[in-house]
Amino acid sequence: MDEVLEKLLQNPRVWRGSSPGQGGQGLASGYPKLDCHLPGGGWPPHALTEILLEYYGMGELKLLMPALARLSQSEDGATEAGWITWVAPPFEPYPPALLQWGINLSRVLIVRPKEATEALWAAEQALCSGNCAAVLLWSAALNDAASRRLQLAAEKGRSWAVAFRSLKALSQTSAAALRIQVSAGERGTDLGILKSRGGRPAVVRDYAG
Amino acid sequence: MSSSEKSPAHLREASPTPSVAKGRKKKPAAAQQSLSLQLSQESMRQPVQATPVSRLWLCIYLPHLPLQVLEDEAVPAPCAVFEEQQGIRKVWLANRAAAASGIGPGLSANAALALLPELSLMERDPAREERVLQELAGWAERFTSFVSIEQPAVLLLELAGSLRLFGGLANLRQKIAAGLEAQGFTAAMAIAPTPLASVWLAKTGRRACIRDMANLTGAVSGLPVHCLGWPESVYEALHGMGISSVGECLRLPRQGFARRFGAGKLLQLDRALGRLPDPRQSFRLPERFSADCELAEEQSDRDLILHVCRELLLKLERFLLTRQLVVQRIRFGFFHLQAPATHLTLGCVQLDGTVEHWFELLKIRFEQLVLAAPVIAVRLCGGQSQPFTAETKALCFQKSDRQRQTTPMTHLVERLSARIGNESVHGVMTAAEHRPQYAWYPHHPLGSQSSGEAPQCSATPDSHYEREAPQLLADLRRSNRLLLRRPLWMLSEPQPLAVEQGRPVYQGFLKLLDGPERLETGWWDDNGIARDYFVADNPGGVYLWIFQNRNADSGWYLHGIFG
Repeated sequence: MDEVLEKLLQNPRVWRGSSPGQGGQGLASGYPKLDCHLPGGGWPPHALTEILLEYYGMGELKLLMPALARLSQSEDGATEAGWITWVAPPFEPYPPALLQWGINLSRVLIVRPKEATEALWAAEQALCSGNCAAVLLWSAALNDAASRRLQLAAEKGRSWAVAFRSLKALSQTSAAALRIQVSAGERGTDLGILKSRGGRPAVVRDYAG
Repeated sequence: MSSSEKSPAHLREASPTPSVAKGRKKKPAAAQQSLSLQLSQESMRQPVQATPVSRLWLCIYLPHLPLQVLEDEAVPAPCAVFEEQQGIRKVWLANRAAAASGIGPGLSANAALALLPELSLMERDPAREERVLQELAGWAERFTSFVSIEQPAVLLLELAGSLRLFGGLANLRQKIAAGLEAQGFTAAMAIAPTPLASVWLAKTGRRACIRDMANLTGAVSGLPVHCLGWPESVYEALHGMGISSVGECLRLPRQGFARRFGAGKLLQLDRALGRLPDPRQSFRLPERFSADCELAEEQSDRDLILHVCRELLLKLERFLLTRQLVVQRIRFGFFHLQAPATHLTLGCVQLDGTVEHWFELLKIRFEQLVLAAPVIAVRLCGGQSQPFTAETKALCFQKSDRQRQTTPMTHLVERLSARIGNESVHGVMTAAEHRPQYAWYPHHPLGSQSSGEAPQCSATPDSHYEREAPQLLADLRRSNRLLLRRPLWMLSEPQPLAVEQGRPVYQGFLKLLDGPERLETGWWDDNGIARDYFVADNPGGVYLWIFQNRNADSGWYLHGIFG
């Protein structure tokens, strides 16, 4: 019986859920509660992460800030600090607050396209260019096809793509490596991991606490 | 005697007694001998002071230039270029097919058409010839530092300085000939130590290559007088005297020659033989690039127009490369027959304007450009140019895994701002200001590109402390997490909040968690504020930054979201 099972497991078509993802080391999010649920111990690098939320300001930026701060600073003298591109943010990202979180402001680029499709274009360009360590995108025009493009662009440019979407996108499929729903919990902000490549769905209660 | 007044000093030296010259109209044999003796003495004396540095001049003579600038392809169809002289159209130059039917320079256009009805006649375009010649001179500058444009259709290149670099005269000559051929020019070339001699040799079609001054006189003597470019009447007079070659001219007594034909002609002969210096004006490419491309007919095919633009960009790159310059701004003009021209200006931050980069920017902008009418011509003008400074890059044998930077960030920024608009792509900076809305400003994303670390600005109050006492600040933060808390999201305009039962409402009643932080400043300008800021949260769990005005209206406003 064991031999049969072994043979079956040798088949490359069999994927075991517990095997670690191919992404390797993740970007530490700075929140241990969340990190332990993510494969590789952090945000999937060089991939698309989707964050679904009901309305802006539920703690979605706070969630990203520690990782972004680390990306925007040059880790050692040799490597250049990565750019963080904000495409079509719904409000003004407030620089004094970004500074408080440790973001290197000289590496912040804000792009405000006039149309939603241009936002997708701009995000793809930024991801492909290979200059941006992270690209944050707010776009209502994001769909399955667009998410696939962004995912591919993120892989090509070795960049971390983050897309913010409304809860309406819950029912849509997406090519993102990680989908997280942000919701208000009883004691703090809760995170629901809906999809995680190489990981399992989970719920993180009060991630910052 | 007018000619002696015009003639320079050395001529007067050569003729000690003007009265002798005056009395000798029919060239008495004895006088001639004595004068030619003087001439030979002079020629022994003069080379020392005339050409102290040996030079080598290559003349490129383009006899078919008027035809070549008008003809697009080397079509076998007979065609000719005409020029209007005193109201009569006369053939200036005919191609081989037309010449075979007996059409040659000087024939009237009507006669030519009578000989060959299918002949295509074109009017000569001297301006265009000059432009082509200048382009060619620019091209020739790669071989020597001294290129001179002479007369119509002649280029002079001083080669003595370039021999070593190009591996000898034969190699260099071959390179130049191959280059001319590749560009589709039929050229006659000759090399001589003086510019005039090389021109004369080239015009007679002799592939001469004279390196030594000693051989020059002999080579020039054999040339027919017709190559000298003198007026027809002079040739007739010389012919009447039985003189047909330059050598025979040289044997004439100087004084008489100068008097008959003008001192200028004698000077020319002296210069050609290197007895007198012959300074030439060096051609310099214009400081600014400007090139046109005329289309054969009106075009509205955008791909084709883009292709034309690419050709112009290639020209621009060559232009800049030879001058070691870069431009940051270029301007395309699209000309229409029926409408005013459409202009498109492109800018580039990075000083390494490669064709690919410009073309990519152009494509993005061209997509959005509305052309009022079909395009008949395209012009490309380069803006203010700057000296090119090359960057030294590391020699990288191994492809590092971490290597992310492939193209500079500027390329991305330019692509984005080309499509979306300059003001829609920006970086951010903090400013030393207590009023929240003035505490930051957008700036050009690559303004402070050089500094890799966090900006050294005394911006917010706490970044000031951060420099002074980082430990203190960290302690303060730990003890009171809400110290000077600033929201990550800022509303561009404060949003008025409804008030119910005396409490501000935003998706439910707001609970004030922290505050007030009183900001009362800016009285010196019109935008002074007097506000009490609070951190509040609503039942949805959203943390907000709200304020109450302390002046008359005392209303509640939402200013930021902690996100």
